[in-house]
Amino acid sequence: MVDEITDFEVLEVALRELCIEKGIFTAAEHRHFTEFAEQIGPTPAAHLVARAWLEPAFKTLALTEPMSASKEVGVNWMEPTGFGTPSDFTAFQILEDTPTLHNVIVCALCSCYPRPILGNSPEWYRTPNYRRRLVRWPRQVLAEFGLYLPDDVAVRVQDSNQKHRFMVMPTRPEGTDGWTEDQLAEIVTRDCLIGVALPKVGVTTNVITDTRPAVHPIAD
Amino acid sequence: MAEKYGVQNPVPPWKTSLDGLCDALDHASCGTDVPTFKERRDEEDVLSSTLYSSLPFPENQLVSLAHSLLVRGVIDEAELEQRLSTIRNRLQS
Repeated sequence: MVDEITDFEVLEVALRELCIEKGIFTAAEHRHFTEFAEQIGPTPAAHLVARAWLEPAFKTLALTEPMSASKEVGVNWMEPTGFGTPSDFTAFQILEDTPTLHNVIVCALCSCYPRPILGNSPEWYRTPNYRRRLVRWPRQVLAEFGLYLPDDVAVRVQDSNQKHRFMVMPTRPEGTDGWTEDQLAEIVTRDCLIGVALPKVGVTTNVITDTRPAVHPIAD
Repeated sequence: MAEKYGVQNPVPPWKTSLDGLCDALDHASCGTDVPTFKERRDEEDVLSSTLYSSLPFPENQLVSLAHSLLVRGVIDEAELEQRLSTIRNRLQS
């Protein structure tokens, strides 16, 4: 992995933080736009979490037999179909958040990530900035994503490696009563499954389909 | 950097974060002197082909943005310089 930090990487962080401090936008807004630049739409893992929220039996399956639960959302870890790396990892575990425990994943050594079920890893996940700092200063790094957790919530950082991959099962947020699995899956974005964001009503990474009308529509 | 480390990624890891930064700026609604989308992009085109033409993409996009923000007084040079140093120390701590 590349550990050298260029002046350009530093400049990007500097411009961003200065803008945030001046109130031009928030860290959470920046996180959201960056996520949208890399990951559109729900991943299979989002559906896994949504189903776990809706069905207690499936939630138990997800926590005790994550490989089986993965198969139920269409992901077979033995045959990752293009997103997996060609290694023989098959130890996958789903970390359950509770009201007093927040999990977040990292790979301090390189950037191991549960690609078969989550897709490709974020660019920031692979940088020394994240890998070197999350384990030592978790709350500070989470704050840089706009996530501020109260003191009565413990933060647990889970390191991944070649043989063990993890994902986070966040707690179901307020305001989602009566929602369908698809509606719930929409708000469980990639960053929520890593643990640097919490699912929120109205915050998705769906394709934006609001467009303005064509200047010269086809019927002309 | 790519050559030096034998990396094949077409863009550096901070590029999507820069994209997020530009989107966040474009959507900012407060009344400071933040450039509009059109101003930002026009300046980026001009600066990248003149003053920063020796830089590759997306480094020229990043530096053009810094230039646009400095020139408008959204950030000032002294605080940027300070911040660069603080961040480098933090990332290497």
